[in-house]
Amino acid sequence: MADRKRNSKEYSRRSFLKMASGTAVGLAFGGFLPRLINVDDHALIIPASEGYILVDTKKCGGCVSCMLACSLVHEGKENLSLSRIQVLQNSFEKYPNDISQEQCKQCTFPACAEACPTKALTADPTKGHVRLVDSRKCIGCMQCIQACPQQPARIQWNHEARHSQKCDLCSVTPYWEEKGGPDGKQACVAVCPFNAIKFTKEIPTQVGDFGYKVNLRKHDAWGALGLPTD
Amino acid sequence: MYGYVGKILRVNLTTRKISTINTEDYKEWGGGHGMGSAIFWDLCPDKTVDGRDPRNVITIMTSPLSGTLVPAASGRTEVQGIGIQGHPIGWYTRSNFGGRFGAQLKYAGWDGIVLEGRADKPVWIDIRNGNVKIRDGGHLWGLDTWATQEEIWQEVSDGQGFGNWVEIDSWRDRGRTTQRPAVLTIGRVGELQSPLGCLIHDAGNGAGQGGFGGVFGSKNLKAISVIGTGSIDIAHPAMLMNARLWTREKYGFNVEAPAADVGSFNFPAGPGATPYLPPGIGQRPQGCTGCHKMCRGRSAGGGNESHCVDYLFYNNYDAAKHGQITHHLLQAADLVQKAGINVYQMQTGLIWLNHLYQQGILGPGKQIDCDLPFDQLGDYVFVERMVEQIEKQEGIGKYLFKGLAQAAIDLGRYEQDLRSGILPLQEWGYSHHYDARTEVEWGYGSLLGSRDCNDHDFNVCCYWTPSICALFGAEFPVSAAELAAIIAEKCVPYSDPLMADYSDEGIYKEPMAKLVQWHRHYSNYYKQSLLFCDWAYADFVNPYAEGKKGLTGEAEPKFFTAVTGIEQSFEEGIEIGRKIWNLDRAIWALQGRHRDQEVFADYIYEVGAQPGYTTYEIPYVMPVYENGQWQYKALSGRTLDRQKVEDWKTIYYKLEGWDPNTGRPTRRTLEGLGLKEVADELEKNGKLGA
Repeated sequence: MADRKRNSKEYSRRSFLKMASGTAVGLAFGGFLPRLINVDDHALIIPASEGYILVDTKKCGGCVSCMLACSLVHEGKENLSLSRIQVLQNSFEKYPNDISQEQCKQCTFPACAEACPTKALTADPTKGHVRLVDSRKCIGCMQCIQACPQQPARIQWNHEARHSQKCDLCSVTPYWEEKGGPDGKQACVAVCPFNAIKFTKEIPTQVGDFGYKVNLRKHDAWGALGLPTD
Repeated sequence: MYGYVGKILRVNLTTRKISTINTEDYKEWGGGHGMGSAIFWDLCPDKTVDGRDPRNVITIMTSPLSGTLVPAASGRTEVQGIGIQGHPIGWYTRSNFGGRFGAQLKYAGWDGIVLEGRADKPVWIDIRNGNVKIRDGGHLWGLDTWATQEEIWQEVSDGQGFGNWVEIDSWRDRGRTTQRPAVLTIGRVGELQSPLGCLIHDAGNGAGQGGFGGVFGSKNLKAISVIGTGSIDIAHPAMLMNARLWTREKYGFNVEAPAADVGSFNFPAGPGATPYLPPGIGQRPQGCTGCHKMCRGRSAGGGNESHCVDYLFYNNYDAAKHGQITHHLLQAADLVQKAGINVYQMQTGLIWLNHLYQQGILGPGKQIDCDLPFDQLGDYVFVERMVEQIEKQEGIGKYLFKGLAQAAIDLGRYEQDLRSGILPLQEWGYSHHYDARTEVEWGYGSLLGSRDCNDHDFNVCCYWTPSICALFGAEFPVSAAELAAIIAEKCVPYSDPLMADYSDEGIYKEPMAKLVQWHRHYSNYYKQSLLFCDWAYADFVNPYAEGKKGLTGEAEPKFFTAVTGIEQSFEEGIEIGRKIWNLDRAIWALQGRHRDQEVFADYIYEVGAQPGYTTYEIPYVMPVYENGQWQYKALSGRTLDRQKVEDWKTIYYKLEGWDPNTGRPTRRTLEGLGLKEVADELEKNGKLGA
């Protein structure tokens, strides 16, 4: 608990509920709430990330440039398996079910961090509380990967460097000189040809994918190109 | 090595031996086509064998840029070997396809695949990282290209399915993937060794020209599947990332503020699928690995990944029958992809058959008996019936199955229909694509090569853009004089201020020979070997760029250096292209190529260019230099002069250092390129230019 306090903030109950967008937090995280939160006058939680990636799966062109950029700036290599955002596609499926973009949600309750036995996966206060892996502390137990509630899991096992890794909003990009993180640029956002990936500081609604898979086609030329905006 | 992954997979289907070739041994050729030709030269001792002969060697090559962030250079794969489509000789030839296959091959640790021999029964090749197996393909034989891929996906996933991480090897040691295997396969016409057979990957990536689907069939090879979880090391990652963003900011399509880029479909173009689909249908643009422009799409109604001729072979029939493009077109596009059938031959075949039908020569009980339902031309059922007859070799299909040139010979129509142009096979039995009478660089490049060249470099800026602007009364993005200056500036080292002169006189002069020379060398290296996509490069005129000058010349070497760490100037790349072009030319010489064979079909010399009559062209408006000034001029109606074409060929051969009497490379030229052993081989076979 001491460690968690160092990575935590105190939120009033009111701000906590606001952060949760008034949604059924209990439904999403009910099983974990008692372990994290003092539901009294003050709620003690892992601080929210100061940034999130949103995607528009109806706008994605399936070029996987986001994956290539992610791998490139973090690892200095091209490897789709090491990308922290994953684009899945089926050539034979009809639109819009042919593509899905799966990015880390920077969950307000990060089950991955909770599962890490060595505190290698934390909400880093020096990087806007982005949930990230300190590879030096990772012992390769893969419990973070197993704990991720998403499918596919948003934590990757880096089989070459032999540690877990996840989206850090480009906070740590040894192979890109741009300032990243919540106050900087993200490689996937920067490279996407159609702006189908967006960064926001607003906490998305925390139920399902609703808050993370959004419509980014309304305010550019998409409709004028004869492409659907609904 | 950076960019390359170090090994080329060598599979002998006869002996079932699987071995490797060191990429380093062929690195001087760049990748793709250059490596493929050099490997073919080394491993195919008798280059005169038929394409279906088990001694034919097929190469399927990537480039150092494959699987990387280089825009429109990551997803292409080059296929080479002796083809079976060309007429009268299949020629050593090439094809190329997009999608994910080349990238996955690199992630699996292979820079390419070399196929030799013939399996004794149907097989498929299963590549999972370094684990390569030749598997029984009996249960796949007879399946269409889509069903084959879905079946292989399930086998490779080993019951895990997709939509999650899939373990294909030891997860902890070799990683896992969310990606489906990339599968290259053939349909029924390929299995039956027809020259109409294509290689198909995913829904709509096809290597059609050359008849390599039929070559796969001759090798009893149904498919190759590859999935990889490995890395491609990049020499300068930050440089690559910055270069990608530089092209996006300065040259690429801007979805926030699209430029008014009338008639452009290369680097700066935006999504390209929309015009082919019925109005109102849900759709997305979709691209190959690493692409920035997404020229095709997937829709709610089908037609996934089809574009250009995949639709254009039938869109006018559909629209004429139904008043607009309908679902019939999407169904037809899906059908030809599933059948794995060459759509260019379908397009030309439809034109030809329809002419014969209109003339009362072809039809039920006619001189050419044919029961295709012409009253339903424009409906899906017509294409369905045509494909069915080809696959079953029944009705008119038993002729079409052999390819259009042979079909015309068998039906006694070859000479007269090539003379009138109702069977527009412009050169080597390949379908008329763009018109040699007007856009001469396309025709010359095809004639000097082995197939329809399919290189759109000048086609976009010199034909489509000015022609569309003229047709619709839009402003030309650059004047003819500005266009000529941009081309001359970028076409180093052969720059000539008059090289873009498409006038009646200019097309026979040395500047046009220099343009064709640059075109062949650029294409051989940058597009076919480094695998920059033809639908993006070269970029001469770009509406987003300063002075509207495209990125060609600056971007290609920048990306090559970022990925490989090799400092190589643009001109050095052109010189490698010249070397590759000469090696190909030497192979053709061994196959018997002589300048006397390098002539167009008679209609090119005898019938005026009639856009819309032969393919989906619109009236040609191109830059000309006449009376001391540049202008755009309508060129339709022009024929080529036989003697002047011959004179132009002599100019061209001399520029290349080839024997003007035979068109074959000389010892001096070959040795100057470091190809002494090639010269020796030509001399030994009596095919060396004098």
